[in-house]
Amino acid sequence: MTVEAAQAQPFSHTGKFFNVLGLALKNAGLTIVTLTLYRFWARTSMRRRLWSRAWVMGDPLEYTGSAWELVRGFLIALPTFFLPWVFVFYIAPLMMNPVTAAWLGFGFWVLLVPLIAAARYWMRRYQLSRTRWRGIRMGLAGSAWGFAFASWGWWVLQVLSLGWYTPAARMNRAKLMWENTRFGDQPFEFVDDGQSRQKGLWGPFALGWFSFPIAYLASAFVVAFALIGMGLGGVFTPDPAGEPSEPDVAAIVAVVAAFGFAFLFTVLLCWAPYNAASMNRIAGLISIDGARFRLKARTFSLFFVTLAGWLITIFSLGLLAPVAGFLQIRYVMNRLEIIGAPKFAEIGQPVIEGPSAGESLGDAFDLDMGVGVI
Amino acid sequence: MRARYADGRAAVMHDVECELGGQEITIRLQDATHAWRYDDLRRADDGNGRIVLKRKPDTGERLVFDVEATNALGAAAPTLFRAHAHGVEPPRLVIGLVAAAWSLAGVFLFGAPMAAAPIADNMPASYRAQIADISWSQVNAVTQFCDDSDEAERILNEMAHRVMAASDVPHRDQIWISIVDADFPNAFALPHDGGTPAIIVTDDLIQLAGHPDELTGVIAHEIAHIERNHVMKNIVRQVGAGIFFDVVFGGAGAGQAIAVASVNLAGLRYSRGDEEEADARGLDYLDAAGIDSAGLARLFDRIQQLEEDQGVSDIPTLLLTHPATPARAAAARARSRQGLPPSLSDRDWRIVRQACGGSPEPAEAGATGED
Repeated sequence: MTVEAAQAQPFSHTGKFFNVLGLALKNAGLTIVTLTLYRFWARTSMRRRLWSRAWVMGDPLEYTGSAWELVRGFLIALPTFFLPWVFVFYIAPLMMNPVTAAWLGFGFWVLLVPLIAAARYWMRRYQLSRTRWRGIRMGLAGSAWGFAFASWGWWVLQVLSLGWYTPAARMNRAKLMWENTRFGDQPFEFVDDGQSRQKGLWGPFALGWFSFPIAYLASAFVVAFALIGMGLGGVFTPDPAGEPSEPDVAAIVAVVAAFGFAFLFTVLLCWAPYNAASMNRIAGLISIDGARFRLKARTFSLFFVTLAGWLITIFSLGLLAPVAGFLQIRYVMNRLEIIGAPKFAEIGQPVIEGPSAGESLGDAFDLDMGVGVI
Repeated sequence: MRARYADGRAAVMHDVECELGGQEITIRLQDATHAWRYDDLRRADDGNGRIVLKRKPDTGERLVFDVEATNALGAAAPTLFRAHAHGVEPPRLVIGLVAAAWSLAGVFLFGAPMAAAPIADNMPASYRAQIADISWSQVNAVTQFCDDSDEAERILNEMAHRVMAASDVPHRDQIWISIVDADFPNAFALPHDGGTPAIIVTDDLIQLAGHPDELTGVIAHEIAHIERNHVMKNIVRQVGAGIFFDVVFGGAGAGQAIAVASVNLAGLRYSRGDEEEADARGLDYLDAAGIDSAGLARLFDRIQQLEEDQGVSDIPTLLLTHPATPARAAAARARSRQGLPPSLSDRDWRIVRQACGGSPEPAEAGATGED
């Protein structure tokens, strides 16, 4: 039976916005009151909420991680990451000559590229190991450092190509990640469909690549339009005596905000086709036991979801970032379907053990917006 | 009661028949029977519309009921419908976290100032020299050195050493006063090149002063900051705060910004205790050297007047680093002794005022006279 002829079964997400918002507000309040110590519990409860509303073939996902595991991961990160961090960024500038200290800092930042990639891998390994469906645990095999250094190489190529290697790098990372992903003892595959993995991505990427100059022009146009609409008087109040007038602070803030919003709006809009295309392409190449996946992300719907997430995050000063994560997860789950059915009766628990502690460096880098969408 | 059951060994669900007993639930799957004690069960659904039970420790088995089973299950095992069964942390944990967080903050707030003194006092000379380099690069960024102020600096240094000698200030030979050209009236103490301290006086402060005793009062205050090692203590405190916030509270650079600011001019803000100590010690110096502290009181008055006339935003540097409060002016005035000679002769004062191209005469007529 071909993939096209096989039966497609949709995934779904039944999370309700205000239900998630309520939990996010509670978490934000307790995070503030506990001077951020509650963040481990906040993250855990939010994941539990989001996972439990994701339905696959009629059964929900389940998040089984605990906050104490995250605390343990944080305590592990204290000596392994934060001590070098403190030395490089606090002690070295005071005890070494500025040039040496600057080089040390630069070296640290260069090392951060693979370190962040490794942190992403460890974070994903932890999250998958705490994700179950029908009681069967998921997992991530492979070496985090292998992924990290491969990512570093692709990052170098991205830099050298002025960004044009990005679609290939994204697909390479997805391939490495998914080929090491397990559902129970069954590995996922990243199939070769005989076509370029970047098929259909170059055009949308080109639009994204030019998004910054486009966004500058669009934002400047919006601001100019607003200023003309206000007759310029809204910003610089004329003084009857002819003295140089004091700028109206509120009007200036409004103009800057309009510029910022127009810029964000345009950049997200320009990148949405690429993001939708690459998400669809990646999903289309994932396979498990012969079953394939299909994602129907669309430019404008993805754009509005992303824009809403950004605005929620910005206006809540990051405290409600998990709501943005929820919107993304719900969007993907409601547009994802599996074509064909793996032989679930033959899929047992994984052989590989999950990590015993949480995503230490992921917390340090704040990689997951408090949710785990990576 | 019907339910669906996953055995934890394969990713399939089985239809099962369940019986709710007093202490346990019995699951019948074809010929096999499983008994799960309610006390060993947890919820795995987080309120998603199903009731999903799992065992503790987790065996991978799952028992799934439709929401219609709520009443029967709730009657048989009410504990499964409490928040804790879903994994929600108990209130005592939240209270404990609040207590732990504020205790940590308290330990830091009280512990850091206590630890700052011994660390600052024992800081190796090489570190002090490095900090001095950073501080001086900041000074150089916002001020310019004057090529016409050598004589004025000599006069101020002689006067300062006279004041320090009267109070037997240790290491006084290492302290050096520099006059710089800046657009703000201020004076501040910095670690000097090589780890020895310096006092920077801006030309605008000299122009603001109407009498040499006003300037001498400010310099005495800065000498006290140096004698008490407030500069280093302040840096240690702020670097400690930066590390604390970044590491413990998962900050994303805010702590580093605090630490960086501590070695910048903008960060040269002493604690209230340091300021009070420097005020008191500075007045002691003036007393011992036979200098009338009324001059310092007048300068505080003038700064306050400036604040009222121009608004705080126009003189931020001066006010932030040396807030001129009525209480400080009153304290200086209370220790005033009338009839003492000025700390500089008229000739020397005119030379000092001309540093960096300044005017030899105060803007206000008669302002150089005594009250």
